[in-house]
Amino acid sequence: MKRFAIIIATTTALTGAAMAADPWDGGDDLPTNPLACDGTPGTVAAKDYDGGQPTGAADKAGQEITLIDIPKLVGVGYFAATTEGMRQAAEELGNVKVTTDGPTEANIDDQITFIDNYVTQGVDGVLFAANDPVAIAPVLKKALSSGIHVVGYDANSEPDAREWFVNQAEFNGIAKSLIDSMAAEIGEDGKFAIVTSTFTTPNQARWIAEMQAYQEACHPNMEWLETVEAQEDNILSFNQANTLINKYGDDLDGIFGMTSVATPAAAEAVTQAGACGDTAVVGLATPNAMRPYVESGCVKSVVLWSPVDLGYAAVYVMRAVVDGKLSPGDTEVEAGRLGKLQVVNGSEILLGSPFIFDKSNVNDFDF
Amino acid sequence: MSVEARAARPPFAYHHELLLLIVLFLVVGVLAVGTDTFLTVDNVLNQGRLMTEVALVALPMTFIIITGGIDLSVGSIMGLAAIMLGVAWKNLGLPLELAIVVSIGVGAVAGFFNGLLINRLRVPPLIMTLATLALYRGLAEGISQARSVRGYPEWFFVLGQGEVFGVPTQLWILLVAIIAFWIVLAKTTFGRSLYAIGFNEEAARFSGIPVNRIKLIIYTLSGTMAGLAGYIFVSRVSTTRSDMGTGLELDAIAAVVLGGTSIFGGVGTIAGTVVGFTLIQLLKNGLALSGVKGDATIVVIGTVLILSILVSNFLQRRRGAGS
Repeated sequence: MKRFAIIIATTTALTGAAMAADPWDGGDDLPTNPLACDGTPGTVAAKDYDGGQPTGAADKAGQEITLIDIPKLVGVGYFAATTEGMRQAAEELGNVKVTTDGPTEANIDDQITFIDNYVTQGVDGVLFAANDPVAIAPVLKKALSSGIHVVGYDANSEPDAREWFVNQAEFNGIAKSLIDSMAAEIGEDGKFAIVTSTFTTPNQARWIAEMQAYQEACHPNMEWLETVEAQEDNILSFNQANTLINKYGDDLDGIFGMTSVATPAAAEAVTQAGACGDTAVVGLATPNAMRPYVESGCVKSVVLWSPVDLGYAAVYVMRAVVDGKLSPGDTEVEAGRLGKLQVVNGSEILLGSPFIFDKSNVNDFDF
Repeated sequence: MSVEARAARPPFAYHHELLLLIVLFLVVGVLAVGTDTFLTVDNVLNQGRLMTEVALVALPMTFIIITGGIDLSVGSIMGLAAIMLGVAWKNLGLPLELAIVVSIGVGAVAGFFNGLLINRLRVPPLIMTLATLALYRGLAEGISQARSVRGYPEWFFVLGQGEVFGVPTQLWILLVAIIAFWIVLAKTTFGRSLYAIGFNEEAARFSGIPVNRIKLIIYTLSGTMAGLAGYIFVSRVSTTRSDMGTGLELDAIAAVVLGGTSIFGGVGTIAGTVVGFTLIQLLKNGLALSGVKGDATIVVIGTVLILSILVSNFLQRRRGAGS
């Protein structure tokens, strides 16, 4: 009996310890750079190239190259779209073969194993979207030292573990679009909650940190309630959104969906709870997934960029790197139908500005 | 050995472990022919590096499954130990060496807790460790509050990413562990008691074997090895995350069962487990190198697992009928 009591006491103490830590808002702790509230473009200080370089890479300028693309996970619409973009670029270029392979869950251990196997197999280039920026660095550095080119897209790794990173949009630009859209729907003193991916997913953490900075600067009366994690899993996102709705009830004016899986799930939760119009849903998602909710009026606007263009640009960047047309210190790169893309932040290549899908244009897209 | 005993011994190929070894050589042969990057020293050593965490956890899992129990919480314990390493170092400010000891200690305590509850509450280990799987994972996520810990000093990575005499550091540790576990299981009274408990727990109890104490020891051992695996994993990927180790228990159990340990208890060897996790790792790697995509690899592993269990059952039944 005494032992039993000790067991219960220990469990309670441990649980208490777990809950006593600071509430986590989902952002990373890196410095933020919010844009001006009225939309004047921010000044971007020029930064030196900070990427890594491969050692002993074979010179394949103009020759056929084999690339492997390892996204966060396979089987979701977003990465199916980036794969499609890569396929389009490969077709246009003619001398690029790209295959997509990856884990079926957004799991960093599995992703590392995938990359490791392809490094052993010997490919010419690795394209990746990281599940964790630090954990993926050792295996990417291994790729670089084996003479394999490494270009990231969508979710960055540590800068010196890859040569270039194709960034879909500036982090603070995405943050501004999201917060402004939410403020337009729920008002300047609305309360919102966030459904995000996992704890250390680099892009989500960056966006949330920027959103927080921008909201405090430009919409100071809005209130952040909670951030929950849903790991790019459909069912978990739906459950988390439901939990938020039940927990805060009328207090919850808006939900942010930070992944292309979370936003439709949150919209579904809001629709099923009959809270359309009372609880706004704003987030990042593909137009195909959000079409029913945008047409029913439950969701007013969806922020994204073109993942097809993102994959397309990544392949073009890789081709330019192999051909020697893009080297450290360059300020722009030619990317097929996208024209010239700018180099920002040392070794990032900017795709463009975030795009807002709403009722008027959601039917024009198919991804 | 008496004449009757010698005659009653089954022909050597019926031993599951030997059969598995033959399968291993076959698989390696086929894969080596299929791609020339597979059977290189670099690749094999690298695979050893990648499989160490599962292997370290599969060794005590063999003990546990031989006794008829199971431990589903090892993945969560690994995550918890990994988090505690980061928390003890960053948040509590302990010197890194002490933090490592603390993290492995946390694994041991978690395993001890498992064993205690299984003994006291008389709940089947499957249910109990299923519950602690959730408990420890929740603790890991709660304590870490979603922050990952990075920025470890250089010497910390020697274990996960370094080499000693050309062989990855963790492989040496694995080798020592395999030998130690093998000796305990095959050559000591403790090992024999595990088989006894697996065959018939009540009879073992009445025979004077300290069943409760033994169970406590093996579950604590399982937790400790999970903690060690956590440390090695953090050293390998240079960061701690609370979702580390999800799914580890299934990989470990698959390796143990593939190696011939019966899920009902009473049968099993360390040699079988070693061949089991080696086969799974080399199969996964060889298939990936041959160009087979991720999803197809999982299908192949599952098929190999089912086939090997079927063949082993078939042979066991034939052996049983013949003797």
